[in-house]
Amino acid sequence: MSDAPLPSDTQDALVPVTVLTGFLGAGKTTLLNHILTAEHGRKYAVVINEYGELGVDNDLVVDADEEVFEMNNGCICCTVRGDLIRILGGLMKRRGKFDGIIIETTGLADPAPVAQTFFADEDVRAKTRLDAVVTVVDALNILQTLKESPEAHQQIAFADVMILNKTDLVDDAQLKQVEDTLRSINAIAPIHRAQKGNVKLTDVMDRGGFDLQRVLEHMPDFLENPEHHHEEDLSSVSLTVKTPLDAGKFQMWIGALLQEKGADILRTKGILNFEGQPDRFAFQAVHMMADGNNIGPWKEGEPRESRLVFIGRNLNRPQLRRGLESCAVA
Amino acid sequence: MSETLTLRGLIEKRGASRVVEGHITSCAASRDHQRFAFTTGEGDVIIAHRSDLTDAASWNTYAVHDGPALSVAPDTDPHGFLTGGDDGRLCRLDMHGEIEELGKSRRWVEHVLSYVDGKASYIAAAMGKQVELRDATGRTVLKTFEHSSSVSGITFDAKGKRLAASHYNGASLWYTQSKSNNPRLLEWKGSHIGIAMHPQGEALVTAMQDNDLHGWRLSDGHNIRMSGYPTKVRSLSFSANGKWLATSGADVVVMWPFFGGGPMGKPPMELPGAGGALCTRVAFHPEQEVVAAGFADGTVLMIEPATERVLPVSLGGNGPISALAYSADGCMLGFGTEEGLIGLVDLAAA
Repeated sequence: MSDAPLPSDTQDALVPVTVLTGFLGAGKTTLLNHILTAEHGRKYAVVINEYGELGVDNDLVVDADEEVFEMNNGCICCTVRGDLIRILGGLMKRRGKFDGIIIETTGLADPAPVAQTFFADEDVRAKTRLDAVVTVVDALNILQTLKESPEAHQQIAFADVMILNKTDLVDDAQLKQVEDTLRSINAIAPIHRAQKGNVKLTDVMDRGGFDLQRVLEHMPDFLENPEHHHEEDLSSVSLTVKTPLDAGKFQMWIGALLQEKGADILRTKGILNFEGQPDRFAFQAVHMMADGNNIGPWKEGEPRESRLVFIGRNLNRPQLRRGLESCAVA
Repeated sequence: MSETLTLRGLIEKRGASRVVEGHITSCAASRDHQRFAFTTGEGDVIIAHRSDLTDAASWNTYAVHDGPALSVAPDTDPHGFLTGGDDGRLCRLDMHGEIEELGKSRRWVEHVLSYVDGKASYIAAAMGKQVELRDATGRTVLKTFEHSSSVSGITFDAKGKRLAASHYNGASLWYTQSKSNNPRLLEWKGSHIGIAMHPQGEALVTAMQDNDLHGWRLSDGHNIRMSGYPTKVRSLSFSANGKWLATSGADVVVMWPFFGGGPMGKPPMELPGAGGALCTRVAFHPEQEVVAAGFADGTVLMIEPATERVLPVSLGGNGPISALAYSADGCMLGFGTEEGLIGLVDLAAA
């Protein structure tokens, strides 16, 4: 942690928000209570849904209504959570009462509107930042759930961190099969095994998105296994380009790509090496909504290369690779 | 935090200010124009009296809500106030400082209004997806208006005959005296986040999540689009004569003309702003063609559209203006900021 760049004032002033997602019965509330009762000296405001399985023991708990609103910006997949805009706005009026916010979604929720709220609403953007989408996965039931529910696929695809819960209920072979399945959908989110939600807090909170760096560093180039994919399945494609990229060309290319394929591309994340820039550029997108910022200089001995990961369906790897390579400086 | 700020403008000679704990969420004057109330994100209500308006230390604080107080309106009596809170409570704060809980909802009470004339008086409160219409005492619910999504704003028309509510995919116009409980639905796709009614009932205007305004001409339901804002429009105010709609959301005060065929096909008038700071609140004078505007840098101005003459009310404040209101006689103007600064100015001729 000591080598982390000092956050700028604005970054520091933004309240971190953790989104907790996962299928019914996966153990979200257990994990939530584990986080809240752990010794961390921090206070969290918690936004829960009205179908919560268990009680939540916390001073500041707000009920959410899951009102999904379409935006009128001509982008069909651009939905936001109207209730969250209101709730986060309300919480910001008592800014001094907590250090962070945790949002628990219902088991059947598509995480996209929640994540997109942090891109699309100017007030939410001005005061909070999406720290991580944490997806709780039930090791015993997930393979069956994935067969039955498209939402379960989306929750895994959207994860920045996956908590593989109830690992005590399955044997090693099953566990391996589950992890391989999760990896085939989402190649970059770290998987932490847990029982009854007993994760290390540092694995879940204050992820800052930019362990993305660490994750991308450790990710082999061809992690995604192309064998058993149907076109409609969600999968990941990871690309690396060693030549520095032209920032203008990249913006043109990614903008056009997300405009055209944003409905299929759920998430895009990358650390980019722009020509002439001393800093690493962190890029991320949820469907068509993209965002990016400089995250400090490259570290000593770190390879200066651009890595970009797509999670979605109908991903055409050769085409994406050619596209990214075309952004390299001539 | 420092409790003293040096403010310049009208407030120096004709007003007073104070810094309290919490984000100021709304403000309003009582019906007799003798008292002015400010609500905070801490659930407090601060009451100033006109008789000792310049003595900010004499303003009283009442702890009314658990969690943020979201809205304040004059009570139906001359002296008191009505407040709504995140705690789901609709409360009355009377002239003696007594707090009465009029209603308790499972949902937040984001908007409270009252209407009084010789024939009728009502209290309305938006609670989640419902709007309750209550009698003048506030103790009897006359009607409950249901909506399919959360209500983001409510307003009475000038005669108390209709109550309009904004919500997802449009607005509903309810009739306060009708036996049947069906609204006139005004539909427009998208999330509507605030509402204003033309004082002569010609149009209903909503602010949208997508940084523009939508309007309906009420005579025929014709759609009106007013766009071009860099941010969401959080504050709308019609002039008393219905000629102008003042709006926040840009670095100038954007004024839409509701005359000469406008606003359809007419560009809005842009009144001078505060050196590039975003306009966050607007309030038209209840009688004259003068608009008050609050900005993100804490500036409050009064502007006369006809001459573009600008009168600084308060300069050098802290934080974005988050509440701004005239008393109904136009003699007091109050404002508050996100940082807890509250100010009140006496505009009556000395």
